[in-house]
Amino acid sequence: MKNICRMLGLLALIVVLGACGDKKDDKASSEHKVSADSGRTEITYWYAFGDKIGENNENLVKMFNDSQDKILVKAEFQGNYGDLHSKTQAAFAAKNAPEVTLNEISSIGVFARSGMTEDLTPFIERDSDIKLNDFNPGLMGNSYVDGKIHGLPYLRSTPILYMNVDMLKEAGLDPAGPKNWKEFEEYLRALTVEGQTVGMSMPADIWFFEGFVGAGGGDMLSDDEKEVTFNGEAGVEALEFWKKLSSEGILKIPAGDEASAQAAQDFANGRSAMIFGSTAGLTNNLSIAKENGFELNTAFMPANKVNGVPTGGANLVMTAGLSPEKQEAAWEFIKWMTAKEQTIYASTYTGYLPSRLSAVNSEEMQNLYKETPQYKVAVDQLEYGKARPMADSYPEIANILRDEIARCLLEGTSPKEALDKAAELANPLLK
Amino acid sequence: MSLGKARPYIMIFPAILVFTLFFLYPIGYMIYLSFHDWNFISPDKNYVGFENFAVLLKDAKFMQVLQNTFIYSALTVSLTISISLMLALWLNRKGTMYGFVQGAIFSPHIISLVSISMLWMWLMDTDYGLLNWFLNLFGITNVPWLTDPKTSLLSLIIVAVWKGIGYYTLIFIAGLQSIPQDIYEAAALDDTSKVRTFLKLTLPMLSPTLFFLTIIGLIGSFQVFETIAIMTGGGPINSTNTIVYYIYENGFRFFKIGYASTAGVLLLGIIGVFTILYFRLLSRKVHYQ
Repeated sequence: MKNICRMLGLLALIVVLGACGDKKDDKASSEHKVSADSGRTEITYWYAFGDKIGENNENLVKMFNDSQDKILVKAEFQGNYGDLHSKTQAAFAAKNAPEVTLNEISSIGVFARSGMTEDLTPFIERDSDIKLNDFNPGLMGNSYVDGKIHGLPYLRSTPILYMNVDMLKEAGLDPAGPKNWKEFEEYLRALTVEGQTVGMSMPADIWFFEGFVGAGGGDMLSDDEKEVTFNGEAGVEALEFWKKLSSEGILKIPAGDEASAQAAQDFANGRSAMIFGSTAGLTNNLSIAKENGFELNTAFMPANKVNGVPTGGANLVMTAGLSPEKQEAAWEFIKWMTAKEQTIYASTYTGYLPSRLSAVNSEEMQNLYKETPQYKVAVDQLEYGKARPMADSYPEIANILRDEIARCLLEGTSPKEALDKAAELANPLLK
Repeated sequence: MSLGKARPYIMIFPAILVFTLFFLYPIGYMIYLSFHDWNFISPDKNYVGFENFAVLLKDAKFMQVLQNTFIYSALTVSLTISISLMLALWLNRKGTMYGFVQGAIFSPHIISLVSISMLWMWLMDTDYGLLNWFLNLFGITNVPWLTDPKTSLLSLIIVAVWKGIGYYTLIFIAGLQSIPQDIYEAAALDDTSKVRTFLKLTLPMLSPTLFFLTIIGLIGSFQVFETIAIMTGGGPINSTNTIVYYIYENGFRFFKIGYASTAGVLLLGIIGVFTILYFRLLSRKVHYQ
């Protein structure tokens, strides 16, 4: 009996091991078959975010694969930007990186300077049909690293103001939205009903902070990116403004890791009348507003001394060290993804900015703007768009700044003190 | 088979290979990296000597991280052990109800930590969470569980204790059942009080279990990562950042792999010291049969 059991156990093991081996072989041979049969070059493309944005990526890749028979792209979801970057970095170290991936725009610099992304300049010079000057100039700032182009604008955004029109009307406010900080403050006050609603729910996000500093005519870093400047006049004024609004209770600043989700939740169920958010969420927000039965409008981020908003989103990049064959395939794919038709598709599908001027002026986009003017706000605002800082240590600096801002809002350090402290910790990282 | 003296070595070779490849080599490489400034990718690693260590030990943020880790570990382990010891004493008897309770408190142990984190995030939501809804019934205003630096670390400790209790209780019950009944009978004959029986009999007889759980618990909680990565991201204001999360943050978010390795070396040292200390000091006081 014992022996039979042992035999059976052994047999099971052999079957399992055999099955594992088979599977591998199957996969390898079937993959091989595809490339052998059709001679297609296979490349992998990594993207971030699910929902509408993920669908957009998957759809575009499928369309690309169907449109030609030379290149086969495999699209793979990798979480948010942070996850995507970490995985790309690890995969690159393991010499297993995807041929094409996304870089969040403030990380273009660190990836390019550490030699992970290919310089696209030679490809662009060779292919005149790429029409570089057709890309919106407001979005190109984050494409250049040391004078070379390391990424092309793909899913790009700016923060905009989302408003619940029903609540605005009820409070007797113009649904067009506040133009400047003074009006913004008045809106917040008028929209706040103690214990029930708050004017706005806004996470203390560095991206929004960049917008407020920009509105005061300031910058986060000096031009040579050797020194922080967020503790200058514009920065202090911005943080003082946040603190004042939040202590009056008309601006809710949720804290913690889930602050953005919290703010979105507050807005969706009518607890807050306004939120700031990426234009990328527009399609999604429109459907949320519809589901919850309120009218949604969008506006510029309010100006202070000037209009000045950060841009955001991701550029398409090619990883470095590919074989010429893969490089050509990757370049074809990047070119196709950033072409006019696909730009229109992606922008309509998600709300991301159309990064090509020809796409903005196309009949499809113009019709969309007529039908749903909310889509046009971000495009118009782009006139004031600024590039994000690209210093290698910017992610860490943003982290330091986030902590010090939270300390100011939650624990009562003064805005000037908080920003000076952040600057003191951040400056050595830029040296 | 006539492999002679080589036989045992051949037999352990696979295990040693795996151990070397996935344990010794990474440790060696980590120590090597801790003396370098490297971003994981660039072909050249800059040798910087002990600079990483000097920066790390002067870093106010890292000091807070260390403090958080110690507080987290001490509270998690002591709370889990004391609560589960009480539960074990109560549950160590036969009956359907006791079996059911034991099963119920054990169930968190088999759920993935990621799911648990998501679940508790909903429970602890300041405005919409079940916990605050419940507290509101008693007129207590909303507690900002995870979003206030004063309560965030404690909230994570609550989750860890909740998750750990079932497993600890199970081990304690096993420990209790291995204590011979005759010494209890002897104590009963002498009319010893319950408290005295517990302190003079149960506790010493249980000390091997207690010792085992303390070490396992401390080492485990020094390595806490999932709940922090999912529930707080180390915030707000660095209040829940612990060593492993700090290593991850520096290595994979800020591209400072050398610096992260330095923190890793320090963690290795701390856990090593703890293990040795406990084995040497506590093992003498522990009663083995």
